Amino acid sequence: MSMELLSLVSLIEGEEGVVHSISTGKGLTSRLAAMGIAPGMRIKILRNSGGSVVIITNGTRVAIGRGQASKILLIKAQAQQDGRGKAK
Amino acid sequence: MRAGKRLLVALAGQPNVGKSTVFNILTGLSQHVGNWPGKTVEKKEGICASGEVEIIIVDLPGAYSLTAFSEEERIARDFIIKERPDVIILIANASALERSLYLLSELLLLGPPVVVGLNMTDVAEEQGISIDVASLKRSLGIPVVPMVATKNKGVRELVQEISSLSSGNPKYNPSVPEVFQDHKDVFLTLIEAVSKYVPHPYNAHWAVTKLMEGDPEVSATMEQALPRDKWEEVGLILRRHEDSLLAVVHGRYDWIEAIIRSSVSQFKRGQVLLTDKIDHVLIRPIFGIPILLGVLAFVLFATYKVGGPIQGLLESFVNSFARWVEPFLPGAPVWVSGIIIDGVVGGAGTVLTFFPILLIFFSFMAFLEDVGYMARAAFVMDRFMHIVGLHGKSFLPMFLGFGCNVPAVLGARIVDSRRARLLTIFLTPFVPCTARLAVLTIVAAAIFREQAPLITWSLIAVNILILGFSGMLANRLFLKGEPMPFIMELPLYHKPNFRTIGLVIWNRLIAFVKRAGTVILGFSILIWLLSHTPGGKIEDSFLGWLGRLVGPVGAFIGLDWKMMTALLTSFIAKENSIATLGVLYGVGEEGLRNVLPSVMSHASALSFLAMLMLFIPCVATVVVMKQEMGSWKWFVLSLIFMLTISFGSGMAAYNLSLHLGVG
Repeated sequence: MSMELLSLVSLIEGEEGVVHSISTGKGLTSRLAAMGIAPGMRIKILRNSGGSVVIITNGTRVAIGRGQASKILLIKAQAQQDGRGKAK
Repeated sequence: MRAGKRLLVALAGQPNVGKSTVFNILTGLSQHVGNWPGKTVEKKEGICASGEVEIIIVDLPGAYSLTAFSEEERIARDFIIKERPDVIILIANASALERSLYLLSELLLLGPPVVVGLNMTDVAEEQGISIDVASLKRSLGIPVVPMVATKNKGVRELVQEISSLSSGNPKYNPSVPEVFQDHKDVFLTLIEAVSKYVPHPYNAHWAVTKLMEGDPEVSATMEQALPRDKWEEVGLILRRHEDSLLAVVHGRYDWIEAIIRSSVSQFKRGQVLLTDKIDHVLIRPIFGIPILLGVLAFVLFATYKVGGPIQGLLESFVNSFARWVEPFLPGAPVWVSGIIIDGVVGGAGTVLTFFPILLIFFSFMAFLEDVGYMARAAFVMDRFMHIVGLHGKSFLPMFLGFGCNVPAVLGARIVDSRRARLLTIFLTPFVPCTARLAVLTIVAAAIFREQAPLITWSLIAVNILILGFSGMLANRLFLKGEPMPFIMELPLYHKPNFRTIGLVIWNRLIAFVKRAGTVILGFSILIWLLSHTPGGKIEDSFLGWLGRLVGPVGAFIGLDWKMMTALLTSFIAKENSIATLGVLYGVGEEGLRNVLPSVMSHASALSFLAMLMLFIPCVATVVVMKQEMGSWKWFVLSLIFMLTISFGSGMAAYNLSLHLGVG
């Protein structure tokens, strides 16, 4: 089974994924972890239409600036398979 | 032994868990709002009496965790470590328990006993989440009190738990999270290396956890405390295990998961919550932006439609009060009656007439904040705020500025990074406040008659554009660097809680009244003296002299010395400029409306209004700007910047009008 890593911004609304890694400084990593965005956590994209991305994790809705969101890498959840090509 | 026991209790919780509601119920009107020493973070304290016991409750700043990366979190943990409260209350959100447990996992390492107030159980129930409180207590090993703070449920039980915990509850045996197994040996090695040197009042477990997280503050403290060779050894281990932070986080989430699995069950999975249905519309740009503009336009319209007439009424009341007071001061020297009538009543009194407008405006804003809408407004505005180098969170304080710049500057505290906070404060004075809009309306009506609404709206529009331009400029010139991270929780929408809303309005209004009663009152008296000594009349006073001194500068912008003086007095309170114009042009019984058009050309009026709107804000705002910026450099820079911008705009308005043939 191939495990394709996708940046959070490349997932579309309604898709879910499990956080793989976050490539950013310790400060931001800690802040994200406290809000439920840490490796191993399952998150769902609620809004991703340009500008900040809104996700839901642990029952909490969080808006994340696009720059930060692009540094969060996910493994897309299998349940939401669709025929989309490799996202840009 | 009559003397009652005193307990110190810290109230902790993440944002949006209903912590302030709990605090308000516990402390009622005994609460005292101030600042944490040396910080621009609000500190709330109050007393809750329970039988013989007096419980002092300190509301810690809302924090998601206890890292050193935000000032709020640092304050919260320093308080617990240094003041050693007898008990910590953690307010948890039952509908998002995992997240609340994250903060708990940090609190448990600090030492003082913790009681969990499991709040919002009603919301959790609605979402099909059921929590087995007994097994939650068992797996945590600490007391848990289910609550619905908005309905005052569970608060009494919470207080009982505090008393029983403080007298040494034998059942208190917390389970604490451990570092994930792949770094367990690293953790143990570090504990062994540092445990002999951990300075009071830290404990080794906490200190090592923080070292592994890469906490800069704890690292610095430990570097001081450890012998050189030991610290080098520690540094080597930490560098070799760069991913220690993730192991700490992983360990916490494993701990959380075990607890959740044993005590939380969720049925009705996959249901679409009301919040998501509403958000489907509100945070989509196509609908979100027009709706936001509509809401804000309604707030401003309603505020001025209702508040405007009341303000006018109060103003005439203040004037007749001044006339009523006058006969009571017959024997008094002129300067005494002058100070009382023109200074105190006329100056500070007039400022207070804006009270109803602010009351209405703040009520709307507090309502929108409480139900959860303002977070969405911030989200929708985010992309526009990026143009000026800010992000969505700065929108709320800046919009408050339309009411009064003082609470707007104070409100900038919600912005996370210092850089963004400075820029927000820097730009806030460019938001036209109630008082500036009042001057604008009065002068425009007098000079431009039928075209007044058009002129007023154009000037406001230009003002907003200049705000945007200033933001871009300031961002490029003084704030080079990384773009600021934007992470913001969008809370669940909920029914308004009028107690919380009431207290928000109350605190903002008190901030305004306090300033009117102190700073503005003091300066009103000073200005009266400056404008009446030594000559007795404003023409032969220090102020008149100053006005004449800067008068020649006014030639560039089409203002005579009287208008320049009016501009100077607007520093006390913007609406003072109307009074000054009235005195200097000797309008007397005729009224401003009849006199102004004959002494002020259209071009001069435009220039005057442009300058007034962009000029240095009133003294109350200037004082809080200095406090909140905490830096002379920024403060002076922003004053110079405002002077330059306002002068430039005045000059542009004047010359452009002359060229376009506007007399």
